[in-house]
Amino acid sequence: MSTGTAGSAVTALTRLGRGVGRRFSGWLFAPMPLSRVAALRVLVFAFVIVDVVLLHTSGWYHGYADPVWYEPLVMGKVLHLPAASVLLVQVLKWGCVVAALAAMTGRAPRVLGWAVAVGWVWYQYVAFSYGKVDHDRADFVVALALLPTVGLAHLSDQRRSEAAGFALRAVQLAAVATYFLSSWAKVRFGGWDWVNSATMVRAVVRRGTPMAQWLLEVPWTLHWFQWVLMGAELTSPVIFLLSEKWRRRAVGGWFVFHAMTYGAITIAFWPHLVMMLAFLPLERYAAWLGERFARLRGGPAPTPPEGDSSPPRDADRSSRAPVGAAG
Amino acid sequence: MDRLGRVAKAWRAAVVLALAVLFCAGSLVGDDHWWPFGPWRMFSTSQAATGSVWSTGIEVQTADAPGQWVRAPLTPENVGLNRAEVEGRIPQIEADPSRLGTLARSHAQLRPTSAEWTALRVVRRLIVVVDRKPTGEVRTEVLAQWEAP
Repeated sequence: MSTGTAGSAVTALTRLGRGVGRRFSGWLFAPMPLSRVAALRVLVFAFVIVDVVLLHTSGWYHGYADPVWYEPLVMGKVLHLPAASVLLVQVLKWGCVVAALAAMTGRAPRVLGWAVAVGWVWYQYVAFSYGKVDHDRADFVVALALLPTVGLAHLSDQRRSEAAGFALRAVQLAAVATYFLSSWAKVRFGGWDWVNSATMVRAVVRRGTPMAQWLLEVPWTLHWFQWVLMGAELTSPVIFLLSEKWRRRAVGGWFVFHAMTYGAITIAFWPHLVMMLAFLPLERYAAWLGERFARLRGGPAPTPPEGDSSPPRDADRSSRAPVGAAG
Repeated sequence: MDRLGRVAKAWRAAVVLALAVLFCAGSLVGDDHWWPFGPWRMFSTSQAATGSVWSTGIEVQTADAPGQWVRAPLTPENVGLNRAEVEGRIPQIEADPSRLGTLARSHAQLRPTSAEWTALRVVRRLIVVVDRKPTGEVRTEVLAQWEAP
């Protein structure tokens, strides 16, 4: 082969590499409305409050457990975190509530956002360093850490920004990674035969609701469910290739799956469910809610955000707000 | 539209890459101690289609009714720890049953109005499953026991 051909092959490869890099960068930083980030932030911080007060309280009770049960995780060893005490869990819990309430105002988004992140992660650490780690709460760390990087974002700010696009993409990636990597964990810990095991029977025997007992009588249901779940998890990254309409359907499908799981064994991956909302045009729902609220109060409906009722102008806007948004 | 500069994009891309590496490494070789980067292993273990599912609980004697074992909820609200946290420490508990005394102390702190626990034992119930179907047969064994001095 002559040096000329080799040279042009290298040039072609470099050009290809650059092209792929540019496309990836365009995808990672695809501009999104700031209002979408603002809406997701409100939901994330509201969730933090509900979570520390009501949903995930084992950290709180570890304040009362004897330090003999404390089993530091890597994070605790690196950061020299102490065993829980009643004082520590009180400071973390109420600190999270105060910081999240302040962050919901949208002021000082970085300082307050990262304060919530530190408080919530530490509170989870307290919950998880007594021998049992919940496996559904890791992706939420990404949302708390990266949503503040967008800076100021107001619910009515329809401008698109690459920083907003990046934060939303990162949240989406973490949420989908949860599905995909949990299928990997099933193969790693359960083996490929996991799909034919009695894992779901075990879950229903141990914590099944009265609603789920019939599943034990018809064993093929849970067996079949394991195949469907594995298939859905392995193919979850396909969501990034779907059109907006099908993306929303996929998110809806996952919500149905999580609702069924909750009905059967009262386990729900709450923070993860909030993460999945990053796939939806939240600012439209917020605008629609605002309009309904204004109408309920009898006042004149505020003008919908720019472009809301006009035909979509680009691919990402091809979605419509739910029923009634346009009329 | 707000665009990001080269530096702003570079560090964001680096953060995503670092997170991806940590999460993937955690899934490939990590364990629960790597949280938040540990493997996402909810319901990942395989359960043999025929065998037994075990479930651990505690039974206590109270000052009100000495000598009588009653089941008590193994929940954070009751003892500061949940069932999985106790299940994971069975070897340590068997080696040193006095650990169970700390559960009675936490219970007294969390539920100051209910009767004091004078003895506590960890019980494992084995539920027999044949062909993915529980047979109704349940076997019970006592793993460790503690009595107030």
